[in-house]
Formats: sequence, C-alpha cells, structure tokens
Amino acid sequence: MEIRLENLTKVFTNKKTTDTLAVNQLDVTIPSGKLIGLLGPSGCGKSTTLYMISGLLKPSQGSIFFGDDDVTTVPPEERGIGLVFQNYALYPHMTVSQNIMFPLENLKVPKEEALERAQKIADLVGIGELMSRKPAQLSGGQQQRVAIARALVKEPRVLLLDEPLSNLDARLRIQTREEIRRIQRETGITTIFVTHDQEEAMSISDEIILMDFGVKQQMGAPQNVYDEPENLFAAKFLGTPPINLFDGKITAKKIKLGTAVIGSTKAAPNDIVIGIRPEGFVVEEEGPIVADVEFVETIGRDTTLIMIDPTDATKRFRAIVDSDYRIEAGHQVQLSVKPHKMYIFDHETGERL
Amino acid sequence: MVLDSVVYGDEKQNRRKARIRFSLVLTMLIIFGLFVVIPFYWMMLTAFKTEAQVLTAPPILWLNPLNWQFSNFATAMDTAPFLRYMGNTVLVSSISTVGTIFTTVFAAFAFARLNFNGRDFLFMILISTMMIPGEIFVITNFLTVVELGWIQNQTYMNAILAMTLPFMTSIFYIFFLRQSFRQIPDELYYAAKVDGTTDLKYLFKIMVPIALPTIITITILNAMGTWNAYIWPRLVTQQQEFRLVSNGLRDAFSNIAGRILYNEQMAAALLVTFPLLVVFLLLKKYIIRGVSRSGIKG
Amino acid sequence: MLEDKSNVKAWFYLGPALFLLSIFIFYPIFNALFLVFLRDYNYLQGTWEGFTLFENFFYVFRNQNFTQALTNTMIITFVSVPISVIIALLISVWLNSVLKLRGFFQTIFFLPYVTNAIAIGMAFAFLFNQNYGLINTMLGWVGLNPVNWVGLGATWGNAMFSLLIYVVWASLAFKIMVFLSGLQNIDKQYYDAARVDSTKRYRIFRRITVPLLSPMIFYITITSFIGAFKAYTQVIGMFGVRLGPPGNDKSLITIVALVYDALDRSGVPGALSEAAATAIVLFLITLVFTLINMQVSKNRVHYSGGGK
Repeated sequence: MEIRLENLTKVFTNKKTTDTLAVNQLDVTIPSGKLIGLLGPSGCGKSTTLYMISGLLKPSQGSIFFGDDDVTTVPPEERGIGLVFQNYALYPHMTVSQNIMFPLENLKVPKEEALERAQKIADLVGIGELMSRKPAQLSGGQQQRVAIARALVKEPRVLLLDEPLSNLDARLRIQTREEIRRIQRETGITTIFVTHDQEEAMSISDEIILMDFGVKQQMGAPQNVYDEPENLFAAKFLGTPPINLFDGKITAKKIKLGTAVIGSTKAAPNDIVIGIRPEGFVVEEEGPIVADVEFVETIGRDTTLIMIDPTDATKRFRAIVDSDYRIEAGHQVQLSVKPHKMYIFDHETGERL
Repeated sequence: MVLDSVVYGDEKQNRRKARIRFSLVLTMLIIFGLFVVIPFYWMMLTAFKTEAQVLTAPPILWLNPLNWQFSNFATAMDTAPFLRYMGNTVLVSSISTVGTIFTTVFAAFAFARLNFNGRDFLFMILISTMMIPGEIFVITNFLTVVELGWIQNQTYMNAILAMTLPFMTSIFYIFFLRQSFRQIPDELYYAAKVDGTTDLKYLFKIMVPIALPTIITITILNAMGTWNAYIWPRLVTQQQEFRLVSNGLRDAFSNIAGRILYNEQMAAALLVTFPLLVVFLLLKKYIIRGVSRSGIKG
Repeated sequence: MLEDKSNVKAWFYLGPALFLLSIFIFYPIFNALFLVFLRDYNYLQGTWEGFTLFENFFYVFRNQNFTQALTNTMIITFVSVPISVIIALLISVWLNSVLKLRGFFQTIFFLPYVTNAIAIGMAFAFLFNQNYGLINTMLGWVGLNPVNWVGLGATWGNAMFSLLIYVVWASLAFKIMVFLSGLQNIDKQYYDAARVDSTKRYRIFRRITVPLLSPMIFYITITSFIGAFKAYTQVIGMFGVRLGPPGNDKSLITIVALVYDALDRSGVPGALSEAAATAIVLFLITLVFTLINMQVSKNRVHYSGGGK
C-alpha cells in the first residue's frame, strides 16, 4: 500500500500560548511494502505525522492517500492500520491472547477464527508460548512483540510504530529491531516507524525521512542520505561521531578553511560552512590542514584524533584515521581531506552548495 | 549492615540500644493499642454478662466463655427488630451503592477521558462544593423529599426512595474515580480507537476492569457510610420499622424510662458492630488502600 | 478523532450524575441562600413576610443554646484535633519503625475506622459509668475516687471530658492510615543519608520525617478541623438525643445539632430560615478556619519528596 502525504500540515491551537506549527506542508510518497524510518530530533513533528497517518489526529491542511483512497477524513478504525505505541499500551488486565484478539472482537470475527489468527501471528513474532500470561509477567521485549502482534492480527494495510524500541535496553534493542525487520519482510506490510535514534533508523530502514521543525529535510536510502546530505541539518543529524563543522570561505573557486585550501568548487564566492566526516581526513605530510593534536584514542583498528580547530582555538574536531600512524598528543599533524567526505553549505541557508 | 558498623562501631552496644528502643516502641504501641481495643472488649464483655454481673461493682473484667449469656442477643432483638433494621440497611446500602457506582463511573469517564466544552470549569465547580457542609443540603433535601410525597403516609417504598435517591451520586467518588481513570495511559485509549472500540466498550472492557480496586473501595466506603447513617434516616422515616440500624440502636435504648439494661444494650451494639468488623477484616486491603489514596490526593 | 469535542456524548455520560447533583446539591445551595433572606417563611403555606438581610442570623445568635453550642463545638475542635493528630503521628512513626507485629498492630489501630458511631458511643458511655464502668475501676486501682462522668447530674466538664476521649478515639484510625501510607512513601535514602551523618533519632523525626510528611499533616489537619466543626453524631452516640447527661440536657449541644433542632421545628414560621442561617454560619466558621490554616501552613508544607 503506497502512502502519499500531500501538503500535510498540523497546527496545534492553544488558548494560553501561541499556536504551534507541528508539521509544515509535508509532501511525501512512501512506496508500497517498504520499511520507512521517520527520523528527527524530539519535537520535530514526526510523531504528529504518524498520528495523522493513523487518523488519531486530524490534519489542519493537506491530504493523506492510501493507494488511491483519500483517507484524510476516514476515522482510524476504518483505515486498516496497526499502531504500536512507545509504551506498548497493552491492556494490563488481559492475557496475551486476549490482548491480541481484542481488535478482532471489534471486527466481529468468530471466536474460533480469532483464536487461530492470534496464535498464528503470535508464532510469527515468536511469543506463541506466552499466550496465557499477563503483560506484567513479560519482559520488555516480549511486551513489544505482543504489541506488534496485536497491531498485525487484523492484517492492516499499514503498520505504524511510534518509537518502538526506546523502552528497551541496548542489547534487546538491537535484537528487536532485527526482529521488526524480519517481520516486515515476511508480511510485506508497508511500515512506518518513528525514531529519534539515527543508528536505529539507518540500520533497518529501506528509506528514511528526515524531519526538523515540522519540515521534511531529506528522504532517501539511509546510506544515500549519509553520503549526500542535502543540507546542514541532514549532515549534522546523521553519523556517529558527528560530522566536523568549520567556518570557511569560497574565494576564486577555492574552498578555504582558514588559510588552507582544501578543495575547489564552481560555486560563487561566499561565506560557507564546511562539513567533513571524521573518517574523511587523511594524515599526509603535504596535507593542507595543520592542527595540534590534543588527545589520541586508539580503539582496535581505528585511531581517533581530537585536535584544535585551526580557525578557532576554542573548538575541537575529530578525525578517525588508520592506527598505522603513530601520533602522540601535543604534536602537530598535517591532514588532507577526501573530497567525497566533505560537503559545503551556504552559511545563511544551510543548503548544500 | 556495613553502614551500621562504620557509623556506630561497637556492634554489641548497638544491638542493645536497638533492643531497648524496640521494647520502648512496643510498650507504647501496646498502651495505645489497649486504648483502641478496650471499648470493643468492654462492649463484648458486657454483651455476654447477666444483669447481676453487669451490676457488680467493681465490675467483672473477664468472663469464662462457658458462662456467656447468649440470651442477651435474643432479648435485644425482642426490644427492637434489629434483623429488620439490618435488612433495611442492607437494602438501602445496596441500592445507593449500585446507583452511586453507575453515576460516578459515567461521570468520571467523561471528566477523565472526553473532551467537551466547559469540562474544567464544571469540574472546578464540583470540587468547590465539596467544602460546603452537608447540613446546607439537608435542609432543602428534606423539603424536596416532602414535596415528592415520600413523607406523608409513608410507604416502605417511599422510605427507601427517600433514603437512597439523594445518595446515588457523590462528587468525592467522581473525583476519586477520575484520578484512577487518569492513571490509565492515554495510549490504551488510542490503541482501542485504532481498533474501532466504542467509548462505551472501552469504558467497560478496559477502564472499569483496570480501576476495579477503586470501584471496590468505593463500594465498601459507601456501604459503610450507610451502616453508619443516623441523621438523614431519622429525618425522613416516619415509622420505626423503616429505620436503619443506627436509628434502631439509639432509639431502642433511649425510650425506656428508668434503668438501662446495659447487657442488652451492648448486645445490640455488638450485633450492629460485628458485621462491620467482619467486612473490615475481610476487605482490609481495599479499605486501607482507598483511605490512604484519598488522603494523599486530597 | 483525538481533539474532537464530544459535547453531546459527554453530557450523556454526565447526565445521571448531574441530574442528581442538581437536585440534591446545587439546588439546595441556592435554596439555602434564598431561605436565609426570607422573613417568617411559613413552609406549610408557602408564604413569607418580605425579605430581610440579617434577621435570620439574629435568630441564630439569640437562640438560647447558641453560645453553648459554639463553645462546645470550639472545644471539641481545638482540643480533639491537635491531640489526635499528634497521637496519630506518633503511632504511625512507631508502627513504621517496627517490623515484627506491624500487621497485627495495624489491624488494631485501623479497627475504629469501620465502627458504628452510635454503637461505640454507647460502649463509651458505659465505660464511663459511675458504678459499673471500667474507667472508675481503673481510677480506683490508683486510689482515686469514682467520678460521675456521664450519669444523672454529671457536670458539663466531666461529660465533655468523656466525650473528648471518645472523639479522639474515633478519629485516630483514619489519620494513622493516611500518615502510615505517607511514611511508607518516603524514600529510604533520606534516612540512610541522615544515619551516615549520625543524626540523632529525635532530630531525624523533626528534620526529616515531619517536613516530608507535611503535605499529609496539612491535609489531615484541614479535613479534621472541617470534620470536628460538624460534631454531632458522637454526642448522640454517647448521650442520646438529649445531648447531655441526664439532668443536664443539651449541655453538649453543638452547632450542627442546632441545625437539626430548627429543622425539627420546620412547621414553625421562620424555623427553616433559621436552620439555613445556622448552616451558613457553620460554613463560614469552617471557611475562616480553613483559610487561616492554609495561611499558617503556607511556608511549612514541603511538597517535594514526601509522598507522591
């Protein structure tokens, strides 16, 4: 089921404070059968978007299409969606099987069939043996699976997950996200999940939609967005450790970081922000950037150098280089930059140049 | 344990101190415990005495169970129809409790879950009336009951209506239940909405079962309130046999001129007290929970 | 959807409760405010002699029993509330500090919460009986003469003393329940920290327990004052409808008793207005003391940390 959002806008009105523009003219087409990560910092409008797709929130403007159906005004229960909440929202007084069968009860599915479907879906998510337990007797990861089973049991056209992993500990999180990936593959349901964790989004999504301040910043396959950020926000938000940013200039088609010339461009002379990924530096004797090393951390294969920004001594930047280089703190190094790991942005607008 | 030895050093001395402290606390608890228990004991003791034993000075403080005079209870029941009063009380308390649960569950749901114009304002008004002493209502409610024709030539039905209808809802319980409902995460409601659950079904399938302990607490407190009710039933009942236990108890031993038969009086008092004690011991958990909760939330 | 107003639905849900509340709570409030300004309202004929601002209040104050009722109510309130709050606080702290037997004592101390006020009042009256009561027997053990607490011709002072003992007894259970649950919600870390600093027990009580429990102490004090101003059934329980020891009738009358006194005379012109005026006077007294209470405790109640 392809999902199309057209000019989707949500304004929260409030008597006491000013109105909040939570989602601003969002235009997105989500391809059928894919797993999409809706990614952004907290308050960026990603959950609001998800709730509008679910029908729990009404858009202030714009439309939502499921395939060719305009579902903008269709109530949630008629949209054919499954929704999984951050805190799972399992009914505490019901057993696992009662929880999973609850949506079917509303659809007036006969008891026998409901039981059968519940068992099937429970087996799919790997909780088939826990059907008679109460939610309180389950671990966080198991509760999460029950929630997914409950969302899937009515065979929705779309599966929506709101921060599905944030209540799990680190180990379970990795395990569960693989599980979500697997379930999505097996069922082929178009799935949208909201997260603020870029690693989570990048590791399992077919595509990510990056949002900030209610505006779509960039959409694409995770690696593409990482490799080709369209603006400063996209560059900053993806990547651990984060990208290094320097104030720079373009003069006569040369990109200048302080006095060092680190590349060339066709763009007009301008004040710019230069972003260089930590892995984008190479230690070279002839390298144009000269920097003082403050710390050296060697972890296995990689060496991380923390250096003083040559243009601003109050700032630090980070480079990850091969541990073949023996570099010590307090020394000076010379660095050059891999061109495809460096991006330049307009100083005012943040747009990629 | 580690903390103890670091701070206080000498473990032996420390343990002795703790023992002394414990004995002191225990002594105080026993003294006050006796203060609490003695009236109950006195009631029971007297209820089983013969008249001669009651009128012995100094009083007999312990009675061998073999010598208990059970006939006091029979005599007490001859003095006034206590079984009848108990029946009335059970009936009145069941009706008013069912009514209260019905009205408060719906109202609490509206306040906790629904979004409507004037909700906060209405809720504030309800809360502020909780400060007004009940006597202000009683005056007019008495007139209302008279106007409804439930006092003149009163039938049993009229008496029951007069004793129950004004107590079929309660602002305090609406407030109490709303607190309970609000602790249920919003997501449960959203999840149910996505699955096409109606509000009514959500209320009875999800909210009521989750808030069941609170509803049980309300039931108990309400029933106990009726068991204790004295003023209103006295005001609105025209015939002795329509009254509730408290009235029956008070009247039965106020009307006798001259000497009071204390053993019969205490036997009657015990009859009235005993069911409450049983209820308390059986449902202690819910009562304590309800009281301490309402206490904390104000 | 989520933000949609569901006005019609809401009123349907609120309907039953609001219907009853309108008849038995809201209307009575307005009606009381109406009654209190009627001159010589004759309820049976539905007539009155115009309006008056204060006349009905004068009736209240000129009632021969008003001074007695006010004095009794004030004494019951200002003696029983502080005493019972302090005793309840101590008992809860003690209860909280013993591990063994806690459940047993808890049950005992909670028992009075569920008893019938009339039945226990009668038991208290017999406890204080001059010849056959336990109290005088116990006085005899320490060589004191028997006192006529509640019998024929007992003095106001003796009767009031007995009543106060009963009122304190009856009000302990609720307070202990609330305090105990408050104590159990205090984070143990505060006590561990205090012990590391080798704080003395008494100082722990004064500087940690009481401040952290202060929201509950405040709540209990306010509700106890409001409750004590309404004292009436306790008097009925111990002394019956004559509201005092035999031969000293009405000596323990309270303000609420005045309301019902007036209500019993409902056929007499003006009686209902007097009842309304009395109830309003009671409300105003309660209100003033509640406000004073709030003002006094303003800076002494710590809302963080204690309880939830």
